[in-house]
Amino acid sequence: MGVPAFFRWLSRKYPSIIVHCLEEKSKECSGVRVPVDTSKPNPNEVEFDNLYLDMNGIIHPCTHPEDKPAPKNEDEMMVAIFEYMDRLFNIVRPRRVLYMAIDGVAPRAKMNQQRSRRFRASKEGVELAEEKHKMREEVIQRGGYLPPEEIKERFDSNCITPGTEFMNNLAKCLRYYIADRLSNNPGWRNITVFLSDASVPGEGEHKIMDFIRRQRAQPNHDPNTHHCLCGADADLIMLGLATHEPNFTIIREEFKPNKPRPCSLCGQMGHEIKDCQGMAKEKKGEHDEFADSIPVSEQEFIFIRLSILREYLERELTMASLPFPYDFERSVDDWVFMCFFVGNDFLPHLPSLEIREGAIDRLVGIYKDVVHKTGGYLTESGFVNLERVELIMQAVGVAEDNIFKKRKEDDEGFKRRMKEKKKRMKAEQGPAYLPTGQFAPQAIGGQGRPHAIENARHAAYEMRMQGMNQHNMNAAQSLKAKMRNGNKSSAGPGDQDSRGMKRKAEDSDSEPEPEDNVRLWEEGWKQRYYKTKFDVDVTDDEFRKKVVKSYVEGLCWVLRYYYQGCASWKWYFPFHYAPFASDFKDIKNMFTDFEKGTKPFMPLEQLMGVFPAASGNFLPTSWRALMSDPDSSIIDFYPDDFAIDLNGKKYAWQGVALLPFVDERRLRAALEQVYPDLTTDESKRNSLGSDVVFVAKSHPLCDFIIELYHAESHEGTEIPAELCHGILGTLNLDDDPILPNKPVESPIPMLRDISQNSAVGIKFMDPQYKEDYIFKAVVLPGAKIPNKVLKPHDWEQSNHRPWRPQLGFNPNRQQAHLDQSGFRALGHHVNRNRGGGQYGHGPSQSQHRGGPYSNAPPPSSYHQGNFHRGQPSSYSCNRKRTFSQYVSLSHVLSMWLGSCVKHQDWRVSIISLRIGSAGSLFLGLRGSFRMVNLAITNSPTPISPTFTPVRVKNILIKVINVNIPDHSCF
Amino acid sequence: MMARKGTGGDTVSEYLDQNPHLARWVESLRDPCESSKQWAARREFILRNMEAFPAGQAGLDRLLSLSMAWANHVFLGCRYPQPVMDKIREMADGVEVHEAPVRKTRDELMGRVKRPGAPGGEDGCVKRPSASSGEGHSRGVPPPAKPGPSPHAPAQHQPFFNRLYKAVAWKLVSEGGFGPNLDHFEILRSCVETSKASLSCVIVPLKDIPDLPAGRAQKEGQVCELRCQGVYLGTGYGRDEDAARAMASKEALKTFQGRKVTVKICRRRFRGRDVEDVVLVDEQPRGSAFPPALGYPFPVRDSALLAPPTSL
Repeated sequence: MGVPAFFRWLSRKYPSIIVHCLEEKSKECSGVRVPVDTSKPNPNEVEFDNLYLDMNGIIHPCTHPEDKPAPKNEDEMMVAIFEYMDRLFNIVRPRRVLYMAIDGVAPRAKMNQQRSRRFRASKEGVELAEEKHKMREEVIQRGGYLPPEEIKERFDSNCITPGTEFMNNLAKCLRYYIADRLSNNPGWRNITVFLSDASVPGEGEHKIMDFIRRQRAQPNHDPNTHHCLCGADADLIMLGLATHEPNFTIIREEFKPNKPRPCSLCGQMGHEIKDCQGMAKEKKGEHDEFADSIPVSEQEFIFIRLSILREYLERELTMASLPFPYDFERSVDDWVFMCFFVGNDFLPHLPSLEIREGAIDRLVGIYKDVVHKTGGYLTESGFVNLERVELIMQAVGVAEDNIFKKRKEDDEGFKRRMKEKKKRMKAEQGPAYLPTGQFAPQAIGGQGRPHAIENARHAAYEMRMQGMNQHNMNAAQSLKAKMRNGNKSSAGPGDQDSRGMKRKAEDSDSEPEPEDNVRLWEEGWKQRYYKTKFDVDVTDDEFRKKVVKSYVEGLCWVLRYYYQGCASWKWYFPFHYAPFASDFKDIKNMFTDFEKGTKPFMPLEQLMGVFPAASGNFLPTSWRALMSDPDSSIIDFYPDDFAIDLNGKKYAWQGVALLPFVDERRLRAALEQVYPDLTTDESKRNSLGSDVVFVAKSHPLCDFIIELYHAESHEGTEIPAELCHGILGTLNLDDDPILPNKPVESPIPMLRDISQNSAVGIKFMDPQYKEDYIFKAVVLPGAKIPNKVLKPHDWEQSNHRPWRPQLGFNPNRQQAHLDQSGFRALGHHVNRNRGGGQYGHGPSQSQHRGGPYSNAPPPSSYHQGNFHRGQPSSYSCNRKRTFSQYVSLSHVLSMWLGSCVKHQDWRVSIISLRIGSAGSLFLGLRGSFRMVNLAITNSPTPISPTFTPVRVKNILIKVINVNIPDHSCF
Repeated sequence: MMARKGTGGDTVSEYLDQNPHLARWVESLRDPCESSKQWAARREFILRNMEAFPAGQAGLDRLLSLSMAWANHVFLGCRYPQPVMDKIREMADGVEVHEAPVRKTRDELMGRVKRPGAPGGEDGCVKRPSASSGEGHSRGVPPPAKPGPSPHAPAQHQPFFNRLYKAVAWKLVSEGGFGPNLDHFEILRSCVETSKASLSCVIVPLKDIPDLPAGRAQKEGQVCELRCQGVYLGTGYGRDEDAARAMASKEALKTFQGRKVTVKICRRRFRGRDVEDVVLVDEQPRGSAFPPALGYPFPVRDSALLAPPTSL
């Protein structure tokens, strides 16, 4: 679904759902990285039980990142994936379950989208390579410098599709990763790890949903499990709401638009490939010692708290004076359903509903009306009441005409404003007035300190007079112009050429607008839409009905998919465009049920269905031939160029790719002929696999599993509920299992084998239910709804205390603040030249510089890396605690020491402490100054007096005469 | 449903009325979501070609696949590898489609027009009577594709170039008249686009051209040939691609300086042989022959001559 748009809309409308993640960073001591102990309490002041990873959201950015140079080979990609998962694990710190799900073969309904993505990706990849080549020649001819061309092959991101060798390798690497972490990482000791790789059919997030759904339908499920799901897709929010679990949080990368990207030609930041000049690389640091440091800030993570979204929704959806008792849970389901109208992966969105235009608010308004009128909800446990949906559609349909007109108006208004803005920007490049002389602005951190202001009054007078003269000169100029042009031109400088400019702007300035033949804002739009998009006449009712019927089926399918799992692997929406809302007439009987017993494609079959011929190298030779041979009986699936309908959008990637649909019967028939050509390895890749569960030796389930292997029992065995927090499922022996004390070979040359393995793995199957079983969309009995976080509407009336908003997960969180001594310390040490503290001395005092407490801020461009060796100065890039911006490390520490007695649960989590002989305190820390921020996070557990002494090479700070408070007085 | 179709369709439906068995069979091949218009065209395609394919499912599937490829090309705007295109072009001979939609392929959208003469949707693969000239009514079926341009091409294209002639004239007036200091390419491009068509350029390095008059000293630089709707407009030479394009545009605009422009079939050199090409000429008798063609949008008898398309 329009991912950025939906998420942007949601986070603007419901801002409190977002909580920034606190991440503890690993330390480096004497060049050795000390991993974070994830068995310690979560620094986010919340404990999660289960962490689910929708792996495709991790694989894509790790294999072809947009904001940094791509990994050189497959091994580096795997390591990047591991590191990414470690980061997530460190932030979330699940205590019971880690579930990794890679997209397997998807339902047919998804295939159209997958096809269009892969056909585009393939073309984009080729284009980029061509452009790179062309630009490279050009730059080199002009005498520019470029790093030598890498030998590596272009990474075709299309290989991230089930059935390819890459995915097979990835599954192997993940098994190794799990075994390694279970054996070596204390945070993993007691968790149960599920791996659902690409050989298990189903999209990653839906496999996760299936797991949750099937667990919560059995009596041993703990209704207060705290789930955390990782992934960036907006539909995860819908899925999370659809579970009706009270504690559900989503973690994703913070979305930062317009992030700088390195030029793909020379690898430098600051320009795009088409502007590449091949300039020599800017030296990083005096001797280019920071050349390898990543110049961009690391992507940060945010939590999306669905419990708060539910609070918001409850406010918005609650309907008073209903003829029946209001059920919030049902209206959440209806809300989720209505969001599908606006966009989802399986259906094109209705032309009149655009999320940016407040479509969801409009729908909610209509919805409340309909519920009142018909006395019921739209959906129940994933089944749709079409009669009521029709009412909603009709209500939207009535407004359709106006929506299109308004859209056109807004669009034109926007264009006009942009044009004016552009003109303004052109006219006034730079600020209207800049003070000069001693008041001239100076760059922060530039060479030379600003001098004290001298004789300010006189300087101000001079500037004033200068300004007046300027004004007079302008007036004279415009007068002259007026006389020259007679009375044609109005007053004001620059106005006389506005006529000429304007014409030009209209003629050629703007990029050519894509032609829009539909013109939804003009009378007859429906006719034109059907004619241009479907190539049928509006009088062709039968055809229109077909489209509507398919769309109605689609809505039912999607909702069922979210609430009950895949109803049909075969169903798909067979058109490229949606009908209008007003076309939804008499839809009540358009849908009865889906075909039962449908089967997913096999992985290689699906590859044939979604790949363009250009990605055929991932397929066996004889299969590949079917994609290009003119005598192939499926050649029509593989055009090498296809039309893109911009559909009112500006860029090709936003448009609709008009790709032909795959005829399943013909695909299967054609493949039957080439099935015998598969090698054993390929046949294996083409088969469906099973989920696997892993635990470490210390887990109660471990012995049970080992027993199963000993007994060599070849039928499924149920997990005893008490061994694994009430998780049920069937275990089956793995053919090539990971067993304790059986070394695990590393599939990646740069990582070592695990000789001391203590993990065990076994096949796992979710609890099975009858085919017609309906998973109830309700809150389970025994579930405790979390406390309210939003400010009650009647707070002012009932309370006279000011409202204190809750930040983060902990309602009783201690706010960090400085006491008097802290402020004094701060004021004392802050660099006076940069607007000193309240106890600042005088501008001339600068003997502090270079002293033991040097507080020169670091060079502004490198925020990261440990380049401040031995320099106790600090620079923080955490924007949440801004006071550290110009405060050196020593100040932070002294502030901490000054106030830690008062603020009971401050704790140094990263900084290691050692008490010296004369009561002095040694603080060691890595040269990365993010750590300092984390040092000041407060934590619910008091500081422990037993510090592990850590020898620190880089920084050793001695703060004398500090009494270490006793444990009890914290 | 049947009534709205053209003459070809009527014969088909008559034929099917007389053979109900065949009608039922062919109806079973219809995709349930296919519009009647597309199905009518595809049905004709199937019926015309079914004898050439062996009976049995495998043969039928191949025919179906090619029929879908053809329908995808005509109705969705897909392009297939050249051998497939050649094949479906041949098979579609005689099938007429009225008002086939005009689509922009991704390559065209990205400004990567590879195929000389492709714009306007006219690629010889299907007779699209209305799409080719942008006029609403359909015309008679041109004779089957033979090497070289169809003899009707000048008549087909003349109305368009009459309009383009006017557009250019007005544009030049607003720019202060034809002269050396204009952005010739920009003028030509905008005129062509206001006439709802697009320009296609073929650019070839000078040294790659075999038909150069002997005694040319220069070996560096680029040569550009401009076409619109498959009609040759002009050729230009320049140091780089932009300069070549500008020069070609200037040459093309010169043609528009006369009292009218005419579309004609003339002989030109192309890869070492004489071919017939559709060109745009003014009234003046031409002093010399046309420069050799760089790209050639019409089928040539020797398929090896359908050379690799050159990109912009």
